[in-house]
Amino acid sequence: MDRMDQNEERAIEMLAAHGDVLINRREAVPRTDMSDEEHGRLAPLFQLAERLQENMYPVQPSAAFVRGLGKELVENAKRQIALTKRLRRAVLIGAAALGSLLSVASVVGAIVYVIARSRARAQAQAIHTPTSHAEGAPA
Amino acid sequence: MPEDNESALIARAKEDPEAFGLLYERYVGNIYNYIYYRTGNHHDAEDLTARTFLRALKHVSRYVDRGAPFSAWLYRIAHNLVANWHRDRNRRQIISLDDLVMRALKREEPAALAEEREERDRLLDVIRRLPPERQQLLILKFVEQMSNAEIGEVMGRTEGAIKSLYHRTLVALRKELTNERDGRGKGTGRTSDG
Repeated sequence: MDRMDQNEERAIEMLAAHGDVLINRREAVPRTDMSDEEHGRLAPLFQLAERLQENMYPVQPSAAFVRGLGKELVENAKRQIALTKRLRRAVLIGAAALGSLLSVASVVGAIVYVIARSRARAQAQAIHTPTSHAEGAPA
Repeated sequence: MPEDNESALIARAKEDPEAFGLLYERYVGNIYNYIYYRTGNHHDAEDLTARTFLRALKHVSRYVDRGAPFSAWLYRIAHNLVANWHRDRNRRQIISLDDLVMRALKREEPAALAEEREERDRLLDVIRRLPPERQQLLILKFVEQMSNAEIGEVMGRTEGAIKSLYHRTLVALRKELTNERDGRGKGTGRTSDG
């Protein structure tokens, strides 16, 4: 099992090195680094990688498409940024209006509360205060 | 990979259309190639590339830079759009304009060239049957010529994991190609027998 793991590890490293050579990321892997058995086993995968390298190359999008999409994106971005700014301003104005409304409401509320309280107190005093006529009455 | 000023450029792109334009110019080729190899035709590659960048523009203000390359985010958007495209395509069997043009061209080109083209088409068809992450690995490696470490950054994996995935991908691809060839061989046999 260990030997199998080791073999697989070696195969992974060799394929990776071979792949790097194919895309010019490193110098050629010396053939002497591999046993004949390893080379025989990996040769079909090396060939497949070479086939991929030959057939998978960059394709260019048409210049008109790149230019057209670039223009569309910049225009869209401008619209989007303007919209975001407007939205942000609207939210700010809304919050400010709500804030001032709340502060006016709280002042009015406080005044109403004070008035209501003083009225209630005056009423309570009027009920509990005994009249002088009642006090001086004969038994 | 251009990392030095990329974070600054992304931050600027949230407020500045020109900065987003620069990001677009930097990555449009990569995204186009990715989509082209995933769909197999230029018409859909253009359509999906446009949709990828429009979606990126829509969401760039919410993009959080976590140190991964910006291209990783773009590839993810492209991947999702390609997945939807495959789903829709499976529902409505469509023959693309590119396919029709290619069929007409094939009839006119010399036999050797036609055979070479057919061989390439067959290889790319089999690649398109691999799981998306394996296709992405092959595209980044052979089309974009990225190192395993760079591919790891884009795909959010370690370099070792990429090497291992590359090995598994080649083994699977070889098996698929062999199955396909055997299938074709049998198919041809049956036809000639009949």
